[in-house]
Amino acid sequence: MSHSALPIQPSETNQTRRTGIVQILRKHLWGYLFLLPALLLFAIFLWLPIIKGFVYSFYYIDFVKGNTFVGWDNYKTVFDDPNVGKSIYNTLYYMGLALVMGFWVPIVFSIAISEIRRFQGFFRVAAYLPNVIPVVVLYGLWRWFYDSVGPINAGITKTFGGEGIAFMTDTSWSMISIVFMETWQQFGSAMLLYLAAVLSIPRDWYEAAEIDGAGVWMRIRHITLPSVKGLIVLMLLLQLIGTSQGFQAQLAMLDGGPNNATLTYALLIVKYATTRLELGVASAMGVLMFIVLGVLAILQFRLQNKGDN
Amino acid sequence: MSRYDHRRPINRLLYGIIYLIVALMACSMLYPILVAMFNSLKTNTEVNSFPPTFIPLNGWHWSNFEKGWNFIDLPMFLRNTLTIFVGNLVVTVVVLGLAAFSLSKMNVPKSKVISMFFLITLFIPPTTYLIPNFLNLKDLGLVNTFAAFWLPAGASAFNLLLLKNFFDSLHQEMFEAARMDGASELRCFGQLAVPLSIPIISTLAIFIFSNAWNDWFWPSLVMHSDHKYPLATAIYKYVISARGLGLNIRFAILFMVMLPPIVVFLTLQRFIMRGLHLGGVKG
Repeated sequence: MSHSALPIQPSETNQTRRTGIVQILRKHLWGYLFLLPALLLFAIFLWLPIIKGFVYSFYYIDFVKGNTFVGWDNYKTVFDDPNVGKSIYNTLYYMGLALVMGFWVPIVFSIAISEIRRFQGFFRVAAYLPNVIPVVVLYGLWRWFYDSVGPINAGITKTFGGEGIAFMTDTSWSMISIVFMETWQQFGSAMLLYLAAVLSIPRDWYEAAEIDGAGVWMRIRHITLPSVKGLIVLMLLLQLIGTSQGFQAQLAMLDGGPNNATLTYALLIVKYATTRLELGVASAMGVLMFIVLGVLAILQFRLQNKGDN
Repeated sequence: MSRYDHRRPINRLLYGIIYLIVALMACSMLYPILVAMFNSLKTNTEVNSFPPTFIPLNGWHWSNFEKGWNFIDLPMFLRNTLTIFVGNLVVTVVVLGLAAFSLSKMNVPKSKVISMFFLITLFIPPTTYLIPNFLNLKDLGLVNTFAAFWLPAGASAFNLLLLKNFFDSLHQEMFEAARMDGASELRCFGQLAVPLSIPIISTLAIFIFSNAWNDWFWPSLVMHSDHKYPLATAIYKYVISARGLGLNIRFAILFMVMLPPIVVFLTLQRFIMRGLHLGGVKG
């Protein structure tokens, strides 16, 4: 018999298991409770629609008579529709235009404004101001600007003569007009991000380079640009993802016209859903886009890993 | 460019050119706003004249604003927009705030898996779930209610990420001390984390406000009755494509709708700029 000065601890078997689910739940009750509302909302309003999207792509949706299973019919409709091909081309064209016309603008202006000595704050505010205006107001404004009897054409006919450009009704100009308007509106916010990055580059680096005899342009090329490279890549990715989904300006300004010149992929999805009331096909198109972007993402991931090796 | 650069004449010329280009940019930003204002004050014939005039030449017609105000029920639409905004903000701060707090400060097991559950949604293109989201809301009977905005707003992985990153930057010791003093988790959140999160909540408020103010397409899909339309949708439906609405009155309405955000922005711009820095570039 053993005597001990201390009271004998109750043995393990008298207590419930410490590692059971109930114990975990009880210990972290509040933790899970706090997560519960968000989990519910995400499950019901994000994951459920995504899953339903996949499911509904195989159905014909009818709000009155109920949904009927149609198998691959929706996908066949997608592949047979010539508008789909055009919309893909238009979307790629839109993404390309946005890159060529709009990606470099914030970068250039951020460097320019970082050099400005007086009134820098005023220019920052002025650049961001269009971002503050509600988009719909801008649609109304630019519709008038681009009009064949609007101020832009007035300027053009005065300086160059001729008939002016039909920015909105000419198929070759319509997408360019939209991209220009969107660049005008949105470059302010990207510019502010670049400006913050440019202004955080240590001054000493510039001074050191200057002492070594580097001119202004060399300093920009070798100090400024490499320092914001990470941000540039991030913004590029965001812009590509964003423009691939673009449809709102095209819908509001031109309704996909003229002659389907501004019909982007996302806009076609919307049209299938709202005007043609073929929601199953719209869902199918959404699923296809998910697959394409997913494959691209995986490819890019693989390429990156190969590059590291 | 440094002081020494500016001594060289070629660099001064370069600086001058840069200044000119930036000034032109600023003018091109302001020009449309001024045009909207001046066009609101003209007669319809003057707005339609070609070549267009800048400053009104046929008198300043302030009555256009009154006509614009009465054309559509602006206060009602404004109220709807604000309802959507406030609801979104409350849902975000409460639902996502609690979740972010739990993930960041409460050492929940399997938190990585749960984070994945939330964050993977960022990689799914919105186009994929735009229409299914609408169908889902219809199945749930939430079409034409404000809940159709508030509830999906709580499913924003981006906002969750912002909140979680911010909470990560708060010191754990503070909460340990509070817990030792007997504060319940709810108290830790409500009376400690939330007051400290004013910077990130303001940033979120700016994003959510901007979203609510600008969003015109989703409400046009989800809402059916006029009473429930927010301002942006109302403008889209009744002003942009309106026939028989004089251009000058159209500009008057557009200018009136443009004015509040601009005024708010100019007065709060310092905080807004700081908030954008907080949400954007790190360190």
